[in-house]
Order: sequence, then C-alpha cells, then structure tokens
Amino acid sequence: MTASIKPLNFTICAECKTSKARVGKMELPHGVVDTPVFMPVGTQGTLKGILPEQLEKLDLQIMLANTYHLGSKPGVDVLKKAGGLHKFMNWNKNLLTDSGGFQMVSLLKLAEITEAGVKFESLNEQKSEVMLTPEHSIEIQNAIGADIIMQLDDVVKTTNPDKERIEVSVHRTTRWLDRCLKAHNRQHDQSLFPIVQGTLYEDLREVSAKDLIQREVNGYAIGGLSGGESKDDFWKMVFLSAKLLPKNKPRYLMGVGFAIDLVVCCALGVDMFDCVFPTRTARFGCGLIRSGQLNLRSSKYKKDFKPIDEDCDCSTCQNYTRAYLHCIVTNIPVACHLLTIHNVSFQLRLMKDIRNSVSENTFPEFVADFMLKNYPKKDYPNWIKESLAKVNISLHQ
Amino acid sequence: MKFLVEKLSKCAPRLGILKELHGQPNTTLQTPLVMLHTQGGQVPHITHEVMKLVSKNLHILQIPLVSVYNFKEAMDYFDGAISEFIGDGESICCLTLQDPSNLTQQGFHSKGKVPIWTKNGKVYYDSRTYMDTVQSFKPDMYHLLSDGDTNLSSPQKRLTKAVDNTISFHKECLEIHRNSKNLKNCLVIAPVAGGYSIPHRKNCLDNILLDDQEVGGYLIDGLHNNGPEVEFIPFVEIQPIVEFIIKNVPPSKLRAIQGCWNPLIIIKLVKLGVDVFDTSYCRVLTERSAAMTFPIDITEDITPYEINLRQLRYIDDFQPILNGCQCPACLKYSRGYIHHLLSVQELLGPILIMIHNIHHFLRFFEKIRDCVAKDTLDELESRMEIHFQRYQQEILLPQKEPVVNDNIY
Ligand SMILES: [Zn+2]
Ligand SMILES: [Zn+2]
Repeated sequence: MTASIKPLNFTICAECKTSKARVGKMELPHGVVDTPVFMPVGTQGTLKGILPEQLEKLDLQIMLANTYHLGSKPGVDVLKKAGGLHKFMNWNKNLLTDSGGFQMVSLLKLAEITEAGVKFESLNEQKSEVMLTPEHSIEIQNAIGADIIMQLDDVVKTTNPDKERIEVSVHRTTRWLDRCLKAHNRQHDQSLFPIVQGTLYEDLREVSAKDLIQREVNGYAIGGLSGGESKDDFWKMVFLSAKLLPKNKPRYLMGVGFAIDLVVCCALGVDMFDCVFPTRTARFGCGLIRSGQLNLRSSKYKKDFKPIDEDCDCSTCQNYTRAYLHCIVTNIPVACHLLTIHNVSFQLRLMKDIRNSVSENTFPEFVADFMLKNYPKKDYPNWIKESLAKVNISLHQ
Repeated sequence: MKFLVEKLSKCAPRLGILKELHGQPNTTLQTPLVMLHTQGGQVPHITHEVMKLVSKNLHILQIPLVSVYNFKEAMDYFDGAISEFIGDGESICCLTLQDPSNLTQQGFHSKGKVPIWTKNGKVYYDSRTYMDTVQSFKPDMYHLLSDGDTNLSSPQKRLTKAVDNTISFHKECLEIHRNSKNLKNCLVIAPVAGGYSIPHRKNCLDNILLDDQEVGGYLIDGLHNNGPEVEFIPFVEIQPIVEFIIKNVPPSKLRAIQGCWNPLIIIKLVKLGVDVFDTSYCRVLTERSAAMTFPIDITEDITPYEINLRQLRYIDDFQPILNGCQCPACLKYSRGYIHHLLSVQELLGPILIMIHNIHHFLRFFEKIRDCVAKDTLDELESRMEIHFQRYQQEILLPQKEPVVNDNIY
C-alpha cells in the first residue's frame, strides 16, 4: 500500500486573487469538510439542546467537543465501551477535540506547569491535584476518537508580557508535540494538529511555527490568541502565523467566531474556526444577523412579525416571528433551542457565502459589502481597515 | 369543529370523532384522545420541529393561558390565530386556564375574578379580560373561564363560591362568545365546578346546562389543584363525582378532564366515558428524569413501569430506553448517553426523555382506542393494575438506588 490512506486530505479548490483567502476541501474519516469552516462547540458531547439529526439537516460537517469535560464525564472507560464519541452521541459527521489544557486553565485553579505537564488543583472538596500530561491528553482523545485532535500546549496568556516565560512555552510546546505524536496510537484515523505559540512576539511565533512545520502532521492550529489582546495585535499575529504555515495544509484559528473576525481572518488565510459564542449568545436570547445581533429580550420586538433574518432558511426563521421569540425567550428552554438552530445556521451560511465569493472571485466585494452592513456610517475600526489593506482589500468609502 | 360519538352511552367507554377541524371536512381526530400539553406554545423541551419527528399526525395543542398570557399584546396586532403565532399553523389549539403540570397556588380569590400565577406573579382575569384574550388568540376550541380552585379538602364556603363564580363566568363568557365573529367556529368547553360535593356539582350543572346548545363539551373541573400530586389521587375519590357529571351532561357532548393522571386512572376514566385528556403526565415524569417503560401490548416483554435514567446503573448501559420502541430517542440514543446528559445537566437529556415519553403516551392512547373498539379495555386495565401497583410498591421502598450527583468538579 502507498501512503494514500491518510485521515486528512486537504485540497485547495479556489484562491482569492486579491487576498490570502482560499476555499478548500478537507476529506476526513467522517466525510468532507468544506473550508473555510466554522465549527460549533458541543462541549459535553451535545450541542445546546439540538438533536444531531437536526444538525445534519443544517449541513453541519464538523463540530468540536471538549476533552477535559468528556474525560471527567462520562470518562475514558465509558467512551471506550461505547466505541467512541461518534457512536455515543449518534453523530456520524466529523469531530474535533481540544487538548483539554485550555479548558482546565479556565475551569480549575492552576497549580503549576512543569515539563511533565499541567498540574491543577481540583475544585472538589478534597482539593486533590490533577495532572494533565501530553500523553494523558492524547490517551483521552484517542478514546474519544475525534477525526482531528490537538496537542497539549503550554498556554500563556496573551496579556502576559514576560518574554522569557513565553519563550519557554514555545519550546515546551514543541517538546510536548513530540511526546503527543509518540503517544498517539490512532495515526490512521485521527489527525493530530500542533499549535503555534508565541503570544504577541513575532520572533517567537516564527520560532514556534518553524519548529512545528518540521513534524509530519496534517494541519496546524494557531493558538494563544483571542485571550484579551488588542485587535491590532490579534490580526497581525494571525496574518504572520498563517504566512509561516505551509500552504497545502489547513490552518485552524482557535476560539474565534464573531462574524467580523471570521471574515477578516478568512481574508488572512485561515481555514478553520471554532467558538462557543453563537450557541452561548442564543442562551441569552440573542439572534445573529449579518449586521450584528438582535437581543430578542428587548421590548422593541413585541410587535415585530418578521423572522429573525428574512434571508435565513433555517426552521426557526421559517416558522417563528421575532414577536413570538420575544414572548418566550428566557421563559422556556425551547426558546434557546430555536435560537441555537438559527445561530448555528447563521454561522454556516456566512461561511458558505465566504466560500462562494472566493470561488466566484468576488471575495473582496463581499468583504467590503459585509463591512458596510456592519458599519453603515463607514466608521470602520482601524484594525479592520489595516488588516484588510494588508491583503489588498479596500472598503467602501 | 364538530364532535360525533359512536354510541350515546353514559358511563361506558366510547369512541368518537372530532371533525371539520380548521373547517376542513376531511380532517378528523379520534377520541378518546390526548391533547399535547404545552408551555409557551411548545411541548415542554420539544420544539414543533422535533415534535414532528415524534409524530406526524395531527394533534390538539393544549395551551394553558398561564403560560401564554403575555402573548396578548402581540396577538392584538398579529394577523392570524394562536396556532400560527406559536409556529404550528397546522395544529388545533385548545386554550385552557391553568397549567396541569404545575401546582396551582390556592386562594387569593376576588369576586368575579380568577388569579393565575405567571412568571411575573399573580394576574387576575374576569370574564371580559379573559374573553378579550380568547378573541385575540382565536383558538379552535377553549374552556370558558371557571373557578376550579377546589380539592378534596375544600370547605363548603369555598365550594359554594367556586360554583357561583363558575356559573357567572359561564353566562358572561357565553354572552360575549355569542356576539363574537372571531369565535364563530370555535368549540366551547364548559367547565363544571364544585369539588367533591354532589349538591354543588348539581347546582353548577343545573345552571350551565341551560345553555347546552351553545356548548360543545364539558370539562370535569375542580378535582385538584394540578401538578405532580394528581398522579397519586385514588380513583375511588374521584369516581362518584365523575360518574355524576357524566350521567348528567348530554351524551352527545365531549367530556374532558385535565391533569397528570396516571395510565391506570386514565383507563378507568375512559371506562366512565371521558373523551379528552392531556400529556402533562409526560412532563411530570420527564422532570424527575423518568422514562415510561410500562408494556402496552400483551406481546411486549414485562418491563418496569418506569426507569429513572439518573440512576448510576445506566452509566454504561447502551441499550435504548425501551427495546423495540420506534421513537426517535430509542432508535438512535442509549440510556448511557441520556444518563451522561443528565449528569452534566445538558438540555438534550430531558429532550430525549420527553420524546420517548410523548411517543409512549400517544401509543398508549392508540391502544386504548383499539381496546375500546375491540371491547378489551378490561384486560388492558388489569395488566396496567399490576404494573402500577408494582411501581407504587417500589417507590415506597426505603433504600433508593444511587443517582449521579450534580457536582462535576
Ligand atoms: Zn434563521
Ligand atoms: Zn422510545
């Protein structure tokens, strides 16, 4: 046999002639994923009250699940017995899991990061210590069985200016990648992605990317961003990281999902995104539209008999008015299901429109129109003007 | 909407049809039937879109005013009926007053007014404000306003008040109904009040039966204050009252009862000739993470009455809730998965249980109609008697099985 059977085959189908945007096809064990792609987050093996069959109907091709949560409940043993998460949750499309490290940092009290791994103090009464090593992260991810899995990385907050510490994290992340690759025993059906670190230091990002691209992997993640840094820093790091990564492999920007960020980062050459925002905001009664979002709790929707978005063909927009959603939002859980359906469908349609415009070579116009919708007074923020100018896209003036 | 019964019997099980629904002569529903209990216009936990995966048949949605009272402002401007506003234009909507799945707070009476307890506190309705709402909602059928705040322990004074109020509401609401264009084709259900006192029930009936021509059916109201307690009301307590009412209302009219009655009581009520029930029992079970598993057909395996999916024994049980069940939850999801969802408090847990419970309950009602047709309801009753007794003994056992604890970290 030749090396033709890979758990990830990435083909670039179209490239924007102006910007760095591209359209690709990622063939994974559970079907094709069209990129650029947005992946909604189904933390505990479920997406906010939506049945997997409803998600398939929305044409969702990949979703994210969280390793730390699933590792604690239902746990590796149950997942193994169930035959992996796809079977456990009845989801026959693709899955991606994170390493668990980031979730632990945000949910537990960080005790210590050592060369061995990340040590946490559990919030339970015993205050027991929990250690996540690269090997352990991969063991859980192998049991979950997602189509794309992530290395454990040494995460440093982007707001931390300690360059020495960040340099350590860059090198440690590479060493941990090698340990992850060694521990990974499902190379045939799970692709392990390294994560580029270096926070806001260009030279360190460069070191990180250059080290990582020497390993044999099927795609790369850009980590350590969207952690409170300024937008000016953010886009520059995305642009730089994307530039440093090989063209023929997918690039995944972790934790980004606002519509404006998605449009800009697609222009900078990113292929994959994930974020809890669209599903989380649904819980608080917000419906996403191209020019921002509607807070359906607001009394201005009392007599508004339009759907959330007239251009949306999701079942929520087909069957329900803003006035009705206003009446039930925050009152009954079903309201959250209805908004989640719309918000996921909104994200998927936005990505589809981006892909179509790149394929039809109208992406720069798409971006300009999109930004005008969001800033009808043309008071575009600087970072948007600058980042888009960097990839030769000019806005409506 | 019209109601036709097969036999004009009293106190006997009977089959009937509701026809000319939405003014379409060919759309019919068979009785005894179960209305889908809703909150905010949706079956609890289940959107209309998911409900259509559970059953493609036409259903009557029971819309308790207490959960939709805040729709009035929008409905005044909305060009359509409540069924369209809630996003299920094809459904038949029955507007009722209280939510049968929640305990209704007692007291706080005021002359000529009834309190309902909404998310935003107490709201009073009198005949005029109630009928205003009915007219703007334009349901396919509705209950007249009533004072059903009585139960086994209500004192005489309360019973008298409840009956007096109900009679006045009845007269006042019908007066408004008569003059309303919006409600011309709307089926009126008249509640019969009076708690557990035959004289009070008689007084109520004597007065409201004068308007029988304008009424499509009667609601046996005032037996309880709703909520999960109804599950355990003994049949012997309600039997004399239900019998009395059924003997005294014209047999051509629909007979409805509300509340989360258990399946055994439902069979007994069908035997007395009750035609309409609701699915609030499904919600009560779902809220305690219980799935109905009692066998419906004699050919089915003997299974427990219900299973509680929070119990730790289901953690790695990859069977469906009920083997052989064809509901969307049982076809694709396991007890273990649902147990996981419950243990991490994910929304999909109650959704899957509710899908199964509704499906099972609808199937139970199909079986009831089948048994009435074949005259085998007694058999179904004696089998259900065994299951329910076993279940009642089980819940009285002192040692409970361990369940997942809610604290994850
Ligand atoms: Zn929509
Ligand atoms: Zn089932």
